[in-house]
Amino acid sequence: MSSQPSARRAVAPESVAAEPLAHRLRRWLADWLPALPLLLVAFGMLILPVVALLAQSFQSDDGGLTLANWVATLASHNDQRAIGTSLAVGALCATIALLAGAPIAWFVSRMLPVRRATWLAVLNVAANFGGIGLAFAYVATLGAYGMVTLALNALSVPFGPPAPGSLGGLVIAYEYTNIPLFVLLTIPAMGILRPEWWEAAQTASATRLQFWRAIGLPILAPFLAAGWMLIFTWSIGLYGLPFALGAGSASSRVRLITLEIGDILQASISGQGRAAVMAMILLLIGAVSLVTYRELLRRALRWF
Amino acid sequence: MVLAGRIGRWLLFTALAVYMLLPVLAVALYAFATRWTAHVLPDGYTWEYWRAALDDQRLFAVVARTLGLAAAVTVLDVLLVVPAVYWQWVRNPRIRVLLELAAAIPFVLPFVVIAFGLLTLSGQIVPFLQGTVWLLGLGHAAIAFPFLYWAVDGAMAAANVPRLNEAAQTCGAAPLDILWRVVVPNIGPGIATGGMLVFATSFGEFALVQILVGNRFETISLYSLDLLSGTNANFGKLAVITCFTFVIVFAISAAAVHWNRGQATRLLHGGQPIEGRG
Amino acid sequence: MGGVSVRNVTKTFGAVYALDDISLDIAPGELLALLGSSGCGKTTLLRSVAGLEHPDQGQILIAGEDVTQAPTRTRPIGMVFQSYALFPNMTVRQNIAFPLAVRKQPAEQIAARVDELLALVHLTEQAERYPNQISGGQQQRAALARALAPAPQVLLLDEPLSALDALVRTQLRDEIRRVQQAVRITTLYVTHDQAEALAIADRVAVMKQGKIEQLARPSEIYESPSTPFSAAFVGNRNALELPVRGGRIRLGQVFDVAPTGMTSARALVFFRPEDVELLPNGRGQPARIEGKTFQGALTRLHLVVEADGQTARLYADVPSRSAGTLDTGSSVRIHVDPASVRAFPADV
Repeated sequence: MSSQPSARRAVAPESVAAEPLAHRLRRWLADWLPALPLLLVAFGMLILPVVALLAQSFQSDDGGLTLANWVATLASHNDQRAIGTSLAVGALCATIALLAGAPIAWFVSRMLPVRRATWLAVLNVAANFGGIGLAFAYVATLGAYGMVTLALNALSVPFGPPAPGSLGGLVIAYEYTNIPLFVLLTIPAMGILRPEWWEAAQTASATRLQFWRAIGLPILAPFLAAGWMLIFTWSIGLYGLPFALGAGSASSRVRLITLEIGDILQASISGQGRAAVMAMILLLIGAVSLVTYRELLRRALRWF
Repeated sequence: MVLAGRIGRWLLFTALAVYMLLPVLAVALYAFATRWTAHVLPDGYTWEYWRAALDDQRLFAVVARTLGLAAAVTVLDVLLVVPAVYWQWVRNPRIRVLLELAAAIPFVLPFVVIAFGLLTLSGQIVPFLQGTVWLLGLGHAAIAFPFLYWAVDGAMAAANVPRLNEAAQTCGAAPLDILWRVVVPNIGPGIATGGMLVFATSFGEFALVQILVGNRFETISLYSLDLLSGTNANFGKLAVITCFTFVIVFAISAAAVHWNRGQATRLLHGGQPIEGRG
Repeated sequence: MGGVSVRNVTKTFGAVYALDDISLDIAPGELLALLGSSGCGKTTLLRSVAGLEHPDQGQILIAGEDVTQAPTRTRPIGMVFQSYALFPNMTVRQNIAFPLAVRKQPAEQIAARVDELLALVHLTEQAERYPNQISGGQQQRAALARALAPAPQVLLLDEPLSALDALVRTQLRDEIRRVQQAVRITTLYVTHDQAEALAIADRVAVMKQGKIEQLARPSEIYESPSTPFSAAFVGNRNALELPVRGGRIRLGQVFDVAPTGMTSARALVFFRPEDVELLPNGRGQPARIEGKTFQGALTRLHLVVEADGQTARLYADVPSRSAGTLDTGSSVRIHVDPASVRAFPADV
């Protein structure tokens, strides 16, 4: 990991002052050059745009600085509802993903290689199959003329599945990706529970329940919480899927922050300032999530 | 007690399998259904949609664009990420700090916000790039790179790249040589797995496409939306496309799992967080 | 304190016999070592007594009670694992208290017992630390204390020292023996290190391929191994294969023995390096020194002997003080007392 010193040239006295700078620059380039393209793309495409949005959230339509956008958005009932719904959807989805995903992750991590590989492939597919395709799959299954809807009708069951654009519909569709995502994220963490601990607990006369309460869950909990955090943030940020699900019923559609932003951008009406504010709110949620996530993982590993 | 546990596990996985497979089945049936509005199964079956799809120029262009974009983004990401991670391991560990920060962003910041920001920023700085596929490609490369980063990072750790690098240096090799002849061959599965996830991300992405280029570069996701809810809704054709999408995603996932030898793909921050040892 | 009885236990993994009709009795308060190389079945036997493996046939009794079908949880045992298996989310104190907390004992009783155990294994200072904050040797002692906490009938140790440095290993070995004798608990101790087994055990069971080759006190196994495997495994012996002529086995002037019952044409002959005497005055068999290895108090001479048409290589251990004058390449004259030679028929 040592940096190789550049060759030193004999220098004329007048360029002594400049030489160290060139030398430093050369060393700096040697340290960073291969990573520069990626860093430029990543920061240029991911960080700078956010900064631009931050600036825009404080801009009025004629270019001056103002807090009006922030005030308007935070005071607006519609926007408040959008924010609240997004947060609720995120929390609900994350919780369902946790309750269903944790046991699945546990069992899959303990399967024999062939069975495990099969299930991992299935989970991988479901985790990557999102967006518009998934929206259509939902409509095809649980929509007005969906397969399951028709089946329920045929069996004269009095209720039908939630409409695609409704809250229930969103959650069911979201979970198709969320549960596998949660499982894939937490399977590696399951390996942290070593079999010897269960054996040692048995020799100490503990029951399965006692083992989980005293050792298993305390050790796994931070990892599961970190997974919850990620699914929460991921769900709040979804755009394509809810857009497509609600596309048929624009009026009764569930209001989410991402959809609000998309509406404004699509319609190209003034209000970019407001959209920027909502983008900043999403950024804030994201930042809090990131910090919490890292902290949870730091805590998770403190005993190892 | 143990029996109850076993039944519970069986129920859990059966329910999961049903939940995962039912929509796929429904889509597949739609690809062959003539009419399907009354009964559990379609009224009749036909190959019509598939035949029409093969003749459809617009569809062909859409698929070609999507695949081409995804492939280009993948290649770009590999060229960007591999040297950076290599340098991070053998020369400058501080690169990791910045890269891990950047890699966290696409997971906590919604794509629609990134798209919005790019729209705003490009309007201010590089208006000539607005609405072009170049901006879209760079955007996709940026949001998908974390997958490749984690895969390559993990592969380099497993291959003990610092040690390989030292050995190659004592044999007199220069960095570029080492990267190409020693490091890359040893991290192949990592590049493949990560690359496939990059491909899948670009392939199915919607927000950046809709907001940055819209119909100027119609991809599968835009076209699908049109077929789903536009004025010329056509579920049959949409089902054909979705089946195609599904097959691509399936192939990628199976290959990724195979290359990882049955281990769970490290989607995220692997080394220390959310991965247990042992 | 009860004893342990293993009766005709057999365990197979597929076609392999991990345990082949093994019977064994461990007296109350005795420390019995299971000694053998990996795959011999010693760990399987230990885990069967613990209930972590289930024999296909046979019975296991602890303190007179048949526990063969009983789950691990109900057996009156304490176990120390090779990797200690301390719970990482609990302090040393909490780890030791765990078996008692699981039995729902009152808090003051638990606290008193834990303090007692901490003192026993000299860990009182580390009581509030977490396993990842203490050394390997300390983790070992904590694991031992945890195993002893519920005052079990039997203590089981699965290669407890193999993960430790050599110096710590010796200290801890003696610690374990001290604690075991202080508590007088029946103990089953698995190891692959013969020096460890000889040092620590009341009796040693040498195991090979699922069977017990020899079960005896350490001194007996060391002096009089009853099978070629025991002879080879315990005591670092020289092992030679020599022809048997007329019932006699001879290596030049080194030794000439006539063991009873030697009917095969060839024999496996064992003798210890420290039993090879260097003779002055021209008596004994000439041997050339090929090399020397300094081992501290003793120096090992690598010798070559040409006699009766064969070449034999063997070791002799001599006090380092007298080894100074012996140079590589020079010649010495050696002899081995026939009483120190053990011979077994060599199966072709």
